[in-house]
Amino acid sequence: MRSSAHKLDVPLWLGALAWLAVVGMGLASLAALLSRVTLGDVAALWRDPYLMGVVRFTLTQAMLSTLMSVALALPVAIALARRPRFPGRRLLVRTMELSLVIPTLIALFGLVAVHGRQGWAAPLWQALTGGSAGYLYGLSGIVLAHVFYNLPLSARLLLQALERQPEANWRLAAQLGLTRRAIWRALEWPVIRRVLPRLAALVFTLCFTSFAIVMTLGGGPRATTLEVALYQALKFEGDLAQAALLALVQLTICLSLWALALRHGGATQLIAASARRMPLGRWWRRDALGITRYLDALWLAGLALLLLPPLVAVVVAGLGGLPDLVSSGSSLWPATALSLSMATGAGVGALLVALTLLAGSAQLHRRERSGAAALMEGGGQLILVIPALVLGTGLFLLLRPSLGGGWQGYALVVLVNACMALPFAMQVLRGALFDAPVAQRRLADQLGIHGIARWRWLVWPRLRRPLGLALAYAMTLSLGDFSVIALFGSPSRPTLPMLLYQQLGGYRWQGAAATALVLLVVVVAVFALLERLSRRLPRYRQSRYWPTGARRHA
Amino acid sequence: MSQQAIVGGLALMALLGSAAAQAEDTLTVYTYDAFVSEWGAGPKVKEAFEAQCDCRLRFVALDGAVGILQRLRLEGEDSAADVVLGLDMNLMASARETGLLVPHGIDLAPVSLPVEWRDDTFVPFDWAPFAFVYDTQALADPPTSFEQLIAAPDDLKVIIEDPRTSTPGLGLLLWIKHAYGERADEIWEGLQPHILTVTRGWSEAYFSLFMNGEAPMVLSYATSPVYHMAVENTDRYRAVAFDEGHYLQVEVAAMTRHSEHPGLAREFLEFVLGEQFQRQLPLTNVMYPAVDIGDALPAAFDELIDPEVYSFPPQTVARERRAWIDEWLRASTR
Repeated sequence: MRSSAHKLDVPLWLGALAWLAVVGMGLASLAALLSRVTLGDVAALWRDPYLMGVVRFTLTQAMLSTLMSVALALPVAIALARRPRFPGRRLLVRTMELSLVIPTLIALFGLVAVHGRQGWAAPLWQALTGGSAGYLYGLSGIVLAHVFYNLPLSARLLLQALERQPEANWRLAAQLGLTRRAIWRALEWPVIRRVLPRLAALVFTLCFTSFAIVMTLGGGPRATTLEVALYQALKFEGDLAQAALLALVQLTICLSLWALALRHGGATQLIAASARRMPLGRWWRRDALGITRYLDALWLAGLALLLLPPLVAVVVAGLGGLPDLVSSGSSLWPATALSLSMATGAGVGALLVALTLLAGSAQLHRRERSGAAALMEGGGQLILVIPALVLGTGLFLLLRPSLGGGWQGYALVVLVNACMALPFAMQVLRGALFDAPVAQRRLADQLGIHGIARWRWLVWPRLRRPLGLALAYAMTLSLGDFSVIALFGSPSRPTLPMLLYQQLGGYRWQGAAATALVLLVVVVAVFALLERLSRRLPRYRQSRYWPTGARRHA
Repeated sequence: MSQQAIVGGLALMALLGSAAAQAEDTLTVYTYDAFVSEWGAGPKVKEAFEAQCDCRLRFVALDGAVGILQRLRLEGEDSAADVVLGLDMNLMASARETGLLVPHGIDLAPVSLPVEWRDDTFVPFDWAPFAFVYDTQALADPPTSFEQLIAAPDDLKVIIEDPRTSTPGLGLLLWIKHAYGERADEIWEGLQPHILTVTRGWSEAYFSLFMNGEAPMVLSYATSPVYHMAVENTDRYRAVAFDEGHYLQVEVAAMTRHSEHPGLAREFLEFVLGEQFQRQLPLTNVMYPAVDIGDALPAAFDELIDPEVYSFPPQTVARERRAWIDEWLRASTR
């Protein structure tokens, strides 16, 4: 029976429709490629020692990267949680949130400038080891780059988990003078344990499917991942069957991992969405005194040294190219505009679908159909493990007869980008939607608040910030995308990443460095702007009735 | 039209505007993205050709030569392409195999390449030998053959591209195979200690790594120094001539079988061999033009190495490529 309370909820059929569309699209594009597979191909795949080596290497590097990222993220997150106030903390945390969406080419440029054989860190390395700094190439380089991406992400999410502990717990820990071990046992480990499986699965998936990093820093064909083999099959051999099989192998491995992670991890939100910060009380935790100050400083300095210099290198190089840009950058601003409008399309699309899916899942939960709810939610995550190239090529094959080129190509890019951003948008939003307190909902039911008013007063205030952040993630992910747009091509109007590649292809180093800087600035600006917009104080006074708001705005 | 505009949104309005204006015939040319960029040859070529043909020229920019072929394959007979511009010699056989291209029927007499060219389907439009480019400030005395490179101390590093994913990478593979035949795997094994890394494409190798000083030598084209000389006014970067001779890269154009404007397509291919088109190439594509343009060739080209060049027939490449790549894989993972 439908209770009147759910009147304005997104109808279930809409959720089901969105699920069908997303999952259908993912599977259909895979099927479009798979339809060209013969049994012989499958047999050949199994017997190919090269491909077995590829799978082995992919697993090795992904596991190593995940282990390093998450293991190092733990002390960093604990140190950050323990030091709620120090100069630059906000900036550091903001940068950590951004790390996920820095376009690979830019990150690579920065990493080479800092860690390369001629990099900023090379003299230091030479002084320490006596040898020349060759560690950026080979497995160590791959792991370094993956740690650069995933350590900040992991630390940020762990920090969030720690900060979600009620303030009272921390105050109590301080009052009781709990030791380090006791805090870990009583407070930290219980929350971390719940996030860890999903976090590890996310990092593993990102490393497992990483492509450009592996190909540039890998050092040679020994470092070939499934994604590289897939790219080769799809683009160079034109071997759609092989590509589909590789995608299937990738899908199977990642999905089984996720199944495992979901079984063992609590359902917690994976992306930093909460504005809540560690309370800035005057009390001190016992474990925050003495030598730990220096230890924490060491960890935080380590994080800053990992994260910031490569970005500074990009800025420095970009500033050198700025004069060039002002004089001849005629295609830079149109490219920026095109990139932004496509990113907006993809971002809004991802957001709408994510909301629909989550609302559907929430409804199923309420009807105590948790299996179906998990399935509904899992549909959105599916795209994380289907390579964008497969999704793009499959869609292209499916839509081909009616695809006229021109704007339809752009629309397809926006669609694929939206799908790629969907898993991240859902991660941000799920907490906000699922955590809606029962008491408030009941109160609203009793008071008969329905329709627009219910949205306006119950849902919207809790949703605006996650919405802003989800949109920021989705937009910036699509801003930095090159693989999909390159697949579909364009009639001479490049997006920013395309422009970057064009400039590189045309020996325009200076211009390329400037474009990279502009891309970075746009990414940061989107984040900053959306944060600002979504944080603006509402017109009504919420502090009296909304305890959460009270704390935030007090 | 207006319905599409609503669907497409703001980003697409500009495109629709240009689509709506098409009164005359439109010739669609698939090419790679560097060609159509504002500093590439594309904009000038479009202007010049539209002035003579009473038609519109539409470039579709794809991801490299491989991207063009892949797109053609995916689209098959429905392809909008009238002309493909920017395939290379090593893709010719696979492109021909698709059955989507037709003989051009134009006069190739003006073509002047270091090798004889008599293909009825593909029109060459520029060329350059593959070569190692080195930084004179980091390396005074570069090795002048693969064997010298192998014999050099291990800290002499080169950056190469992956033959599985990049055109120059495949070029190097064929180069070594042509020069050493059966001994190719030995050479590859010997080179291993000197290879800093194998990148996905030319951009990463040349820009991200070589220009950052990560290694003193990079696999590129013999013509690459021209850009540094003519535009950046520096002769710091030079190509080194190898005793084994050099493998040749030729970029080609062709017309499609399902073109709605075969006449125009043919006219465009003739235009490609004309001076207006060819004059654009030396400094935009940084390659040698495929016809003799006399004094219009920038002086910087006189400074380049002038090695003996060779190539395999495209059919051989198409037939053997996979086996040779496997051989390379084995030699470099041993």
